[in-house]
Amino acid sequence: MAKSKGLIFEMFEALFSKPETVTYPYTPVELPEGFRGALVINADACTGCGLCVRDCPANSLALIRESREVYQLRHYPARCAYCGQCQATCPRGAISHSNEMVESTTESEALVVVLKNEGAAEG
Amino acid sequence: MLEGLFYLLVFPGLGFQITCGLAFEWVDRKLLARFQRRVGPRWYQPLADLIKLFSKEDLLPTGASDSIATILPLVSLAAVLTAGLYIPMAGFTPFSFEGDLIVILFLMSVPTLAYYLAGMASVGIYSILGGARSLLQYFSYEVPLLLALSGPAILSGSWSVADIMASQAELGPFILYQPVGFGLAVAGLIGKLKRDPLDIPKATSEVVAGSLTEFTGTKLAFWHLVMDVQAVVGIFLLINLYFGVPAVYSPWLAVLIFVGEALLMTFVLSATSAVFARLRIDQLAGLGWRILVPLGLAQLLFVIFMGV
Amino acid sequence: MTKTTIPIGPQHPLLKEPISLNIDISGEDVLGGSLRIGYVHRGIERLAQERTYVQNVHLIERICGICSHVHTTTYCYAVESLLGVEIPVRAQYIRALMCELERIHSHLLWFGILAKHVGLEMVFMHSWHNREIVLDIMEALSGGRVIHAANQIGGVRFDLDAEREAMVRNMLHKLEEQVGGVLDGIVHETSIRARTRGVAPITAEQIRQYCVVGPVARASGVDVDMRRDDPLPPYDRLDFNVITHQDGDAWARTMVRVEETRESLKLCEMILDQMPGGPVTTRVSRKVPAGETVVRSEAPRGEVFYYLRSVGSDHPARLKIRTPTLAALSLIPVQLSEIQVADIPVVLAGIDLCIACADR
Repeated sequence: MAKSKGLIFEMFEALFSKPETVTYPYTPVELPEGFRGALVINADACTGCGLCVRDCPANSLALIRESREVYQLRHYPARCAYCGQCQATCPRGAISHSNEMVESTTESEALVVVLKNEGAAEG
Repeated sequence: MLEGLFYLLVFPGLGFQITCGLAFEWVDRKLLARFQRRVGPRWYQPLADLIKLFSKEDLLPTGASDSIATILPLVSLAAVLTAGLYIPMAGFTPFSFEGDLIVILFLMSVPTLAYYLAGMASVGIYSILGGARSLLQYFSYEVPLLLALSGPAILSGSWSVADIMASQAELGPFILYQPVGFGLAVAGLIGKLKRDPLDIPKATSEVVAGSLTEFTGTKLAFWHLVMDVQAVVGIFLLINLYFGVPAVYSPWLAVLIFVGEALLMTFVLSATSAVFARLRIDQLAGLGWRILVPLGLAQLLFVIFMGV
Repeated sequence: MTKTTIPIGPQHPLLKEPISLNIDISGEDVLGGSLRIGYVHRGIERLAQERTYVQNVHLIERICGICSHVHTTTYCYAVESLLGVEIPVRAQYIRALMCELERIHSHLLWFGILAKHVGLEMVFMHSWHNREIVLDIMEALSGGRVIHAANQIGGVRFDLDAEREAMVRNMLHKLEEQVGGVLDGIVHETSIRARTRGVAPITAEQIRQYCVVGPVARASGVDVDMRRDDPLPPYDRLDFNVITHQDGDAWARTMVRVEETRESLKLCEMILDQMPGGPVTTRVSRKVPAGETVVRSEAPRGEVFYYLRSVGSDHPARLKIRTPTLAALSLIPVQLSEIQVADIPVVLAGIDLCIACADR
């Protein structure tokens, strides 16, 4: 391991270098590609099988099914733990986490996100 | 009369010292932040903190004495402001008299006693612990400080700070003759200001905030002012006793040199704050009486024989 | 001097997580203390019985923030042993890599806390600045800085291609250079040594009596490390030293963790060198056959013990977790005699409390 020159040297080196503070939000922050942000769905790939609903540890997904063709997949972002289990479980890779941060909101309607609405299902 | 009021309230009295105190706090916090690779506060942060504190609610626990808790910071502030009146600022001394060094040292000890009493007056357990520790610390650093500060007085043959400073114009800065004394004086100043590594009375991880744990609002604002002005008065005292300002043709150059020396002392204080961990009270007592006091005595004997 | 009681906690600048310590003092001497825990109890073991095995991976991850990966690793190995599957070798190495990275980040966090409690804030900031490099590595690999969601039953969720492996090696080199400064600063810094040397020594008999594990035990000479004694794969194929010290005081505990950080950095290099190719996950069935199993592993704070019992459904029948901090907490009242008030932060920091783990 590299030999250090002592705390005093570290102190002066810190004094004369740029501070390490990331000046967020004045500088943009790049999120890594594996970042688990808001859920998005590829509606054509989703068949409404419900495996993601079954595997979600936080009960944040719900599938309301009226018949084989009429169903609605809902997501509750406030309950979601952003663990990525739905993304890992889905056999067709339809549901996944995007790189977008989930914003906090003051409207209660935003607490329910309809991911896919197939047929004429009602909310 | 108007001139006297100007000296008391504006320069070198109330307004000047409070401004210098806030500036010192800013430089100190900025330096500490830069040592830690942080950005640090903007220039108006200490002033903003003071204004914010004035607007907060003033509470004390049940059983605490409100009148004593109000008087103590005001008396301390008055004491340190008065001590600052006798210290020449770049050679300018409207109030000095023979023996004012002793008066200054007495006045600078008032905040320590007030800190202890404030801990007792606000009856929380952390306050009482912090207050007791501050007195224990006082007994360890005050004797080396007094021994060290007697050196310049003996060397220049006068107990007036203004005369000590003036005599450095012929003899040269006293730090050259008594570097050990200067080190002891800095250590004593760190203890008096309760800064790291001697912030034992207000060690956050042990006693939360020491005597001031229960203080809020206006009282705490005055305590902040006491700490800042005490730091500034201590720095100016040490500069005058050990560095002096050379007699130059332009008073503005003297002011510049004075400000430069003050910034250097601030840097020394901040750097020692950053580099050392906090001492334990028994380690401080051991250090104070086994190392610092003998060094102080040796330095004093050296100065006496040199003067003879 | 009269005897008073100071309350440390549940809220105190000293504590990251709430515990309640009532310490009896007389002047500057500490006479003893009593401890009360349970403020962060969430009933994890009961909650685990209501969820399926797949859902439990994410519940277990949130027991603790600092040792989250070790908990899920141990749980996944327990479930896989009941299922009778052997995960691919590459997945074993990736799990071990994340475990060692977690150990480094936990110890760097710990240096910062120790330095801050002793009054040396500069080392705190520098140490956490170095920890950011480790967190960046973990975020680039798994997508999360603290909650990685790296494990699943049957393997891991991500893979390292050549470019990512090169990036990880680069950042580890950079970390090695930077961390050397802070670690040597602690080792050679007299003021930290003055505060921790001789403080609260624990003998090896006390360690065995209170069943303490981890760096605290190794600092008193008790040679126990689950990575060597009961190794999960691939630790049986890796070559590393187990650090012990004999003194048992706070300085020995500091030195054990300093040297463990260096060992972990070497281990990360070794894991990256030895990692074979292949898949990173296998298919497993959802229903776990009936049986019971015990799996142990080495978290940054000591031995983590998982007992899992299944009755043949897709919900566990009983999950029992024993975390290392729980035993170390019982040592605190013992250590609190014969020290001074100023040593309380050093004693608490030396044990490296993770109360969320202990309370579950």
